[in-house]
Amino acid sequence: MANHQQASFEQQPMWAGGRSPFNVSYGKLMIWLFLLSDAFTFSSLLVQYGAQRFSNVQSPIVTKWPDPASIFNHFPFMHGLHLPLLFVSMMTFILIMSSVTMVLAVEAGHRKSRKEVVRYMIYTIIGGAMFLGCQAWEWSVFIGEGATLYGNQFGITEAGQKVFGALGVGDHFEWQPEYRTAGPVPFAALFFIVTGFHGFHVFSGVIINVVVTIMAARGSFERRGHYEMIEKAGLYWHFVDLVWVFVFTFFYLI
Amino acid sequence: MEFYTKPGEYDAINYIPKAESHGTKELWRTFWILLGITVLDFIIYFMMPHTGFRNFIFIFFGIVKAYYIVGAFMHMKYEKINLALIILVPTVFIIGLVMGLLYEGNALTYAK
Repeated sequence: MANHQQASFEQQPMWAGGRSPFNVSYGKLMIWLFLLSDAFTFSSLLVQYGAQRFSNVQSPIVTKWPDPASIFNHFPFMHGLHLPLLFVSMMTFILIMSSVTMVLAVEAGHRKSRKEVVRYMIYTIIGGAMFLGCQAWEWSVFIGEGATLYGNQFGITEAGQKVFGALGVGDHFEWQPEYRTAGPVPFAALFFIVTGFHGFHVFSGVIINVVVTIMAARGSFERRGHYEMIEKAGLYWHFVDLVWVFVFTFFYLI
Repeated sequence: MEFYTKPGEYDAINYIPKAESHGTKELWRTFWILLGITVLDFIIYFMMPHTGFRNFIFIFFGIVKAYYIVGAFMHMKYEKINLALIILVPTVFIIGLVMGLLYEGNALTYAK
């Protein structure tokens, strides 16, 4: 009976069902397709950001898009110092590190080592939580400086430009009201929407990781015979890291 | 890397995922590459003046990082080419859309 089934299975044509042309399970194929659709979601947001930014380049007609270095230049416990990019680079490092522990958990899952899977998953969850904490701090500072969804007061006046241009890394610097002026409106709104959407993905990723860690710790995957669920959660987690690479590039570096 | 599954390679009813470990060596190598590129980003940010060329370098580095994350961390290198293509080819069109809309956005500067 089993032999007969095996024979008919082999004779089936490639796309007639009962066989995956991609040699992956249904769940893994679906998570890949979900990631593709999520990639389109983030791309549409980033395309919107790019178009808005390019339509506000410096010209005699419109105000200039604010320089990220003049706004995201804070670091915890170092009040008033001009430290652009430092804090976000740290966040990037945290996310890359948690991606590595995630992939180590997947690798441990291939070896069916329950203890290692749980240990690396806990590291990953800690990394994700740290990243979320950093983002909350970043948002609170940004909001504290007057960022809103419907306006932008981060344009720099002539006087501010002069002071800001002379700054070196680590110099002491406080924004004075006379340095600020109205800038392009969507600046802060796009920042909140894109980093918020990414942060929400990180948050869901942490929840998913907690769930699969508990399942792994209770031996659900051992009974199932494979740790593919860790792999699927991992795909999502790496995708979140991937999106951050581009958010980091477009919002902070450029 | 192959295009299709061979007959009998995949059985949807009694499917157990192949659990082959490729070792941790490549993963750590990828980590050092990603960290290195991020540090390079950091150095270039402070060493180079803000020009279009610098932006081009940052975007290029972003794509290199994406290659390593998708290829090594997400195991795309070990999947069938067929799967890799249906995931990766549509993203090429996104790059086209970005280019187009940046150009249009730039033109809008002078229209408003």
